[in-house]
Amino acid sequence: MKRWMRQHRFAVKAALGNLGKSPGSFLFNVVVVAIALALPFAGLTLLDNVRPMAQQLSVAPEISLFVTPATTREQALALAPALHAILKDQGPSQSNKAALVFVAREQALETLKAKIGLADVLGTLGENPLPDSYVMKLDGFGSVADAARVDTLAARVRALPGVDTVQVDSAWVRRLAALLGVLRLALLLLAVTLGMVVIAVVFNTIRLQVLTQRDEIAVSKLIGATDGFIHRPFYYTGALLGLCAGIVALGAVSLALRPLNVAIAELASLYASQFQLLPLGPVGMLALLAISATLGLAGALLSVQRHLARLN
Amino acid sequence: MIEFQAVSKQYSAHAVALRAVSFTIARGELVYLAGPSGAGKSTLLKMIAAIERPSSGAVLVNGQDIGKLGRAGVPFLRRNLGLIFQQQKLLNDRTILANTMLPLLVTGAASTEAEQRARAALDKVGLLDRAGALPLELSGGEQQRVAIARAIVNRPQIILADEPTANLDRASADKVLDALRAFHAVGVTCMISTHDDLMLEREADAGARVIHLDRGQLAALAPPLIPAAQAAP
Repeated sequence: MKRWMRQHRFAVKAALGNLGKSPGSFLFNVVVVAIALALPFAGLTLLDNVRPMAQQLSVAPEISLFVTPATTREQALALAPALHAILKDQGPSQSNKAALVFVAREQALETLKAKIGLADVLGTLGENPLPDSYVMKLDGFGSVADAARVDTLAARVRALPGVDTVQVDSAWVRRLAALLGVLRLALLLLAVTLGMVVIAVVFNTIRLQVLTQRDEIAVSKLIGATDGFIHRPFYYTGALLGLCAGIVALGAVSLALRPLNVAIAELASLYASQFQLLPLGPVGMLALLAISATLGLAGALLSVQRHLARLN
Repeated sequence: MIEFQAVSKQYSAHAVALRAVSFTIARGELVYLAGPSGAGKSTLLKMIAAIERPSSGAVLVNGQDIGKLGRAGVPFLRRNLGLIFQQQKLLNDRTILANTMLPLLVTGAASTEAEQRARAALDKVGLLDRAGALPLELSGGEQQRVAIARAIVNRPQIILADEPTANLDRASADKVLDALRAFHAVGVTCMISTHDDLMLEREADAGARVIHLDRGQLAALAPPLIPAAQAAP
């Protein structure tokens, strides 16, 4: 174990020594790899910020129905049995989330005041302009294919007496969820592409190191060095290059968030929101650094296997 | 210790380095390998170190067939050999102490122990006072002695020296040979290739065993020279 530790310590020292021989070249490679990593890191940071917002929104379909202004409270409440019947007809509930909620017009006005901060403007209105309404929370309609069934239910609700307007509330949320899905896929493809760029840059860096150290490699082989002893410093160099580039990329993304957040704050204030882009948490950052180091290691592994095999 | 059994080495149809060479070298022998350039001396030494593999026949080192030695086994074979080349193959960006420590570090030895043993090896070849110098700051003869120190630092059973005195003046060549003879005197098997006829004549007169190679074939075998300490019953 001690011997194994010593061999690895020697490899780390050798890797650092090799980097120290040409620090300018190493820094240049770190910057190139960091640029490649910064794009997916920025995309991931953006998704990480948007995802909680999307999760707070209701993805399960909801049907909201608003009664006509002429409908009395008693007539509105009398719609409940018919709506329950429609809910029961939707099919077996998968998680007992199906529900019918009556929203009285007074309650709707209070919610509106609280949500958009227009209490002063709404207070100037003589009477409450909002109608009584129901929110029907459906269950078992998770996929896009279920949209037609939701439309059928909405049509049955619309046909009830006293019903003025029917809204299928989940449509835009589902569009947003689909959009986020597309963004996630695009980010994954971007990450894979740029990951290959990182591997290619490290591959070439290690290739040059192998070439400049071929005499040392040849001598080491002649005096009894194993393949592991010869390969290890290159592996550490690759991993170190990936790790340093990951740190630079995360730092660059964190710095870029500052001016971006100034612009976002202005935009968000128009919607009475305080939305800000936050950097990734420590676990996320550590995971990205581990991925960066792994990409560097992969590039080094491929390069060493290919170029040292040629020297052999 | 070292046995060649009808060993041939053919690089191509027109390039045959060794032809059915057979001989045995006992533990503790000092053997000179003689012959003109292109006789196959270097190829023969490379086969003992598994740098080259025989096209036919068998090379046995301590009973182990080098031709059948796997890739993973080669480094461990070489740790028992001290290799010295005409071009010393020193790392010019490292001090001679660091060069001498290298064979120990590749085995995973602690750096303090490696330094201690490297200093002792440099002392044996008379270069301890130059431990901090870079190879290019030394003369050719001194560089060759560093190569000897690096070869013996691992306390090998066999030293293989390929033209170690080529390109050296007589005085430097003598110092290099004295160093090698000193290791032979303590029981290390030594095999030294050379085409220095003057040196061979002198060593043969002193009773050294000389294997002559000519165009890849064994020309003559002289009687073995084993240190008195080992030859005694």
